[in-house]
This record gives sequence, C-alpha cells and structure tokens, in this order.
Amino acid sequence: MQNSKNIVVLIVEDDPIDQKSIERAFSNQEMIDRVSVVSSAEEALGYLNRSKEQDGDSPRPNLILLDLALPGMQGKEFLKCIKEDEQLCSIPVVVLTASDNDADIEQSYKLYAAGYAQKPLNAAELDNIVKKLVKYWFTTSSLL
Amino acid sequence: MFRDVVILLVEDDLGDQKLIEKSLNNERILNELITVNDAENALQYLQRCQDGEKESPRPDLILLDLNMPGMGGKEFLSRIKNNPELNDIPVVVLTTSDSEQDVLESYKLQASGYIKKPVTLQGFQEVMKDLEEYWFVVCKNFPQRQLS
Repeated sequence: MQNSKNIVVLIVEDDPIDQKSIERAFSNQEMIDRVSVVSSAEEALGYLNRSKEQDGDSPRPNLILLDLALPGMQGKEFLKCIKEDEQLCSIPVVVLTASDNDADIEQSYKLYAAGYAQKPLNAAELDNIVKKLVKYWFTTSSLL
Repeated sequence: MFRDVVILLVEDDLGDQKLIEKSLNNERILNELITVNDAENALQYLQRCQDGEKESPRPDLILLDLNMPGMGGKEFLSRIKNNPELNDIPVVVLTTSDSEQDVLESYKLQASGYIKKPVTLQGFQEVMKDLEEYWFVVCKNFPQRQLS
C-alpha cells in the first residue's frame, strides 16, 4: 500500500553526531524517500507549519522521530503541541532518546507517543532498531 | 520481577481470534493473550484492571478490530485515549478495512499503528512478528520490564 507513496521522515535531534547517524540509518532504508533533519522543536514547528501550506521544500512527514532533551522547547512540550493540532495530530511521533527513566516513558505515552525507543550505543544496533521501526510503520502498518 | 507481556485482543470474529492466537508465537517473547469479543467486554476488563484485580493484568498493548457489534472500535479507541488512567496503553488497529477514512480517523484518535488483516496464516505470522519486534524489542513500555 505504501509503495506508491513518497515516504518522508522528520528527525528532531539537536546532537550533530546523533543527527548524522540517525539520518544515515534511515537513508539506508530503501523505502524512505526523504529524511529531513531539524535541530530543535521550534525548527520542527516551523517545518510543519510550512508543510501545512503545501510548501514543496517541506513535505508533510509520515512519521516524526523525536529526541526529548532539546535546547529551548523540550520534546514533550513539542509532542503536546503536535497532538493538540487538528492538522498534525494524525502524524505518529516516535520518541528516540537517551533517557530510559520511567517518568519519561510514561509521560511520553500519555502524550500519545507512538513508541519510545532508547538510543542504542552503537551504529549496528541503531541500524537494527531503525530497520524494525521502518518495517513496522511502512510495511506492516498503513499510513496516510 | 519480570513478567510476560500482556496483549488484549478485541475481536468479534472467532476465525480471526484463532489466527491471531496462533500467530503470536515469537519465541523471543512470552506473551499472555487475553481475548474479548467486543468493546463493551474490553471496557469491563480494563475496569477490572483499574480495580487491581489480579486475574485481570493490565495490558501492555491492545489489538483492536474496528467493525464489531455494539460499540464500534473507533468509539472504544476514543474512550481509552480520553481516559487519563488508560491513555498510555498503545492501541493498534487490526481490521479488514483499508479505507483512507478509517486510517485517518484511527490515527486522529491516536491509534499507534493501523494494520490491515492479512488473508493467510503466514501473512498473520509475519504481521505479528513485526508487531512484537517493534513494541517489545525496539520500544520500551511502561511499566518497564526487561525481555531476555
């Protein structure tokens, strides 16, 4: 069902090293057509507002990958904004963060995160996680 | 203490119940599948979980059919996601419908995935394997537990 569609993933991540490795892991997946990376929640909101206006340079993402610890607006606050926005709330947001504390996990799910993964320590593990995540969201599940 | 993963299946079709039961057998994950025939029974089950009944463990994941007699799947989804005591439980829609309207409405109601039912046992096995790998290997659940 997804094959005919242009699949776009938006990554919200401030750490330049993590940005590179996560972007690379997604770009390695055949079915992903575009990986957009932004460094803060504010930038992500700017991107998503442009996508509402059908700006060709900011295509609407099918999935958002979100770091929790960000400069400025925090990941959870961003998640809340997205889920309260009638035009954006249908986009699944998966948390990918260094934290594995219970409060972060619980709060993220309560704010309707569609998954919570802890950042792995090495590139091979990250590739493995991203492969499974992409399979679940873009092969097994139907997205819009 | 580690415990098994608990999955609540809300599904009225007996054939599909059997197929899903058979398919949830990823040897990496021990799971307990609890099956109810409709949304009303699912709500009663979840009420018993909230009341702390031992024989009704809280599900880590809900698999939800959309077309059911009585309360529809979307109404059930909306109730779960608007209940502060239950809204952290991921709900994955598993249905025969692939209408864009159903997909969009389910995601707007905060479904954590929308899976069209496969037509063969092998298809179900593949889907269930991906689902288990994503939710119980890639993702951390609350309350946290370790899977070996």
